[in-house]
Amino acid sequence: MSDKRIVYVCFGTGCLANGSMDVFNEIEKNIENLNLDISVKTIIKSTGCNGLCEKGPVVKIEPDGISYFKVKASDAEEIVKKTILKGEVINRLLYYEATLKRKVKSHKESEFFKRQMKIALRNIGEIDPGNIEDYKINMGYLALDKALFHMSRNDIISEISKSGLRGRGGAGFPTGSKWKQCDSIVSFPKYVVCNGDEGDPGAFMDRSIMEGDPHSVIEGMIICAYAIGAKEGFTYIRDEYSLAIKNMTNAITEARKNGYLGDNILGSSFSFDIQIVRGGGAFVCGESTALMSSIEGSTGEPRAKYIHSVEKGLWGQPTVLNNVETWANVPVIIENGSDWFNAIGTKKSKGTKVFSLVGKVKNTGLVEVPMGTSLRELIYDIGGGIIGDRKFKGVQIGGPSGGCIPEEYLDLSVDYDSLKEADSMMGSGGMIVMDDRTCMVDVARYYLNFLSEESCGKCVPCREGIKRMLEIINDICEGRGKEEDIENLKAISETVSEASLCGLGKSAPNPVISTLKYFSEEYWEHILNKRCRAGVCKELTTYYIGSDSCRGCGLCKKNCPSEAILGEAKKVHFIDGNKCSKCGSCINTCNFDAVKVK
Amino acid sequence: MNTLNFNEIIEKYPKEKRYTLAILQDIQRNFKYIPKDAFTALSLYLNIPIIKLYSMATFYKALSLTPKGKNIITVCDGTACHVRSSSVLIDELQKYLQIKLGETTKDGIFTLQTVNCLGSCAIAPVMVINDKYYGKVTPSAIKKILKQYGGEEDE
Amino acid sequence: MRVIIDDKECEASYGEYILQVAKRNDIYIPTLCHSDALPGEGSCRLCVVEVIDKGQSTVVTSCIYPITKEITVVTNSKKITNMRKTIVMLLSARVPNNKVVRKLREEFGISEVTRFRLEELEQCVLCGLCVKACEKLGSSAIAAVNRGVTKKISTPYDEPSLVCIGCGACAYVCPTNAITISEDNGSRKIWGKEFELIKCESCGEFYASKEEVEFSAKKLNEKSIQHNCRKCRKKVNAEKFKEIFADVK
Repeated sequence: MSDKRIVYVCFGTGCLANGSMDVFNEIEKNIENLNLDISVKTIIKSTGCNGLCEKGPVVKIEPDGISYFKVKASDAEEIVKKTILKGEVINRLLYYEATLKRKVKSHKESEFFKRQMKIALRNIGEIDPGNIEDYKINMGYLALDKALFHMSRNDIISEISKSGLRGRGGAGFPTGSKWKQCDSIVSFPKYVVCNGDEGDPGAFMDRSIMEGDPHSVIEGMIICAYAIGAKEGFTYIRDEYSLAIKNMTNAITEARKNGYLGDNILGSSFSFDIQIVRGGGAFVCGESTALMSSIEGSTGEPRAKYIHSVEKGLWGQPTVLNNVETWANVPVIIENGSDWFNAIGTKKSKGTKVFSLVGKVKNTGLVEVPMGTSLRELIYDIGGGIIGDRKFKGVQIGGPSGGCIPEEYLDLSVDYDSLKEADSMMGSGGMIVMDDRTCMVDVARYYLNFLSEESCGKCVPCREGIKRMLEIINDICEGRGKEEDIENLKAISETVSEASLCGLGKSAPNPVISTLKYFSEEYWEHILNKRCRAGVCKELTTYYIGSDSCRGCGLCKKNCPSEAILGEAKKVHFIDGNKCSKCGSCINTCNFDAVKVK
Repeated sequence: MNTLNFNEIIEKYPKEKRYTLAILQDIQRNFKYIPKDAFTALSLYLNIPIIKLYSMATFYKALSLTPKGKNIITVCDGTACHVRSSSVLIDELQKYLQIKLGETTKDGIFTLQTVNCLGSCAIAPVMVINDKYYGKVTPSAIKKILKQYGGEEDE
Repeated sequence: MRVIIDDKECEASYGEYILQVAKRNDIYIPTLCHSDALPGEGSCRLCVVEVIDKGQSTVVTSCIYPITKEITVVTNSKKITNMRKTIVMLLSARVPNNKVVRKLREEFGISEVTRFRLEELEQCVLCGLCVKACEKLGSSAIAAVNRGVTKKISTPYDEPSLVCIGCGACAYVCPTNAITISEDNGSRKIWGKEFELIKCESCGEFYASKEEVEFSAKKLNEKSIQHNCRKCRKKVNAEKFKEIFADVK
């Protein structure tokens, strides 16, 4: 029995939302109260997101390797008295692994975690992001030392190129090439930028890295700055990510104190510093030229990319802009070597990718797997399958720029090129799993609506094209669809995807095109039969209770926010169509599948 | 509005265009919106035309021209939350508070807005009131949650 | 360097835009938001062309695409024509009663748009030229406000402008005549503000607003202001040069 136990309490946004701060405080209080008896020294660390946010708050105890889930503040006393003092396991707080049909002591035994290979997420959940020493103990800043004193600038760029690392933010451009091109331009000053404007709805891997392991990003940026000769760097973080901003700011301060940022880094002649720029609430600022425009102090309107940013970027100077996850990979590649990274993944997509597995999947959270893992493994083996064991319908990959992939492609290997061939795209790695209760026309509408507000509005195809496509789809969803609408959608899509100024516009039609391709029957059903089979489009849906399935338990009636359900105990219940708001609460609450969609 | 208040906030920053957004956000945080006089003061300080600053204030959703309410209800309408019926929550809230998205209740107690993803998809659908997160919110839970923040139900 | 536009060989300097080269070689590419005086918007996308480089075709806007190597350009393929048609259709949906866009409809053979809900009174296509003109020639009184589908050109709070100098550069440069500027008996009205016009000392015609003249004088650091309209100023300056260079043969 070691005489030092470490308790890790997850402080990722998900766990914080579920009360992990109270859990932390209670554990701390209980430990203080027992200070006379302690034979074990305990350090409590707040960590970043473990990835299984749905089962949070997550508490881990080392070196015992015990992981507790859904911990409440009221559990604190028991945890301290039993586990921390005596090493006893509290069974009810353990994770239930469905495939083994039993509880497991450590989260590492669960299918969710076992099948992952954590590179970008290597430290998250294992270190206190506010403590630079934790980062250093876990091999932090060794790569920087190696780069500054044992490698030439060309070596560094060469290693990144050989590793095959591709941009993790969306397009998948080879990172090494980007650095090389920027390095070849003889114009100073040069800049290094981190794109932390993660705007893809459903994606939160960047948030997790910035919150849980900010130094990995900082170290990556310093290494690049040294390689290309930049003195100034910027981390652009979304306005909504307050905790990420806080943790990154703190980390930069700590890095400066320790000589990793500022003048003469680690005693070398290289100087570099990073400034944090807070976004203003605009998805389009995730586009690289819009982001740079925003840093410069203007509105985030993208510019034509006929001259690349590596040549003329921030303030017209050579700039390397990379995504958070990309930066997080850099230190490990330098430390372990390009061959090591190259051996992971597929032929053209090397390394791992972090996916946010969300939506109608049982195990929702962040998952990092080698490129080439199949969708089936991600959704069923790691994700545990569909909630309520309902039928899988499709998975949206790549956010508003991506496409929906149907069941027949479940064995698709997830990598940049395979996804593109299937009319989707890797994007940030957001994976929204959908079931039979998801209307695919509504999904297309959702994304168009999102983009109509987020478009900067500068160019005609994007601004007017999205507006009119949305008008058509709204008409379809609300029962006013016309037969020629499908052709109209396709015609406008073509122009928007090729004539728009920036990536937002160019990829805007993707959700429409992919849902039209794989789920056209749903569109036709909306238009010709005025019916929404998923029961989502309100004007095309009626809910009713099946008389042979209803047991009269009254659960639906109790949960109906519109008081639209009538019925007596043990008698078949009835939905008043005039009051029904089609919120679906009844469908979700009924244990007998008695609520049906007409 | 006392211009001196604005200058305290503005003068923390160098007189460079690149700090425009940061300054506007500080003003927003302090006053819950960008007052007209703030534009004038900032325009003088940075030597940037007022319309350019106004343009930024209407472009970035973090900034507003009218004061936000005492409690800001932000419903996440990210895809994961949408797929878990966040639009239903939004409808219910609009109905309950008798305001549309982006508006503030007459008594100034609640502002209702959406955000396109908070990155808390695992506990979808998510609703944030001020800085407190509520996960897996159901339409029937709304009334109880809001009652904690006061305010009368408008007829 | 040599570029091929629609099978015609053309000479181009490094960094020249395709549109410039095409114009010089009498190859027609339609434009809307392009102005030789204020180039570089790239917002209407009407001038799209296909650039074929190493067998790969990319759609670019010819007004801001710089020629950096020998390329082949196609301005009138079926793909490009269809794209332009869709753009004109979208523009027509936005400004159904605009004369300039109606002409474009006729040029591309597009019928009136009936599928969508239309704003009968809208005339602005958000090309952004007025904003640029006001920045460069005026007092930066207007800019694009809001984002996405609600974007519009306006003054702060949509109120009558406090800083507009009434020069009318915005209205002059607008390709769809969307900016209302009216003149009546020595008074000009634009952006909700009324301006007193000054008479030319030489010919007596109203030629500029007081604010505009003061603004220009300040910019050019002129100590004394001479009130002359453009025509008369040329005459006055010509006389001056005659005097100065009187004894030069």
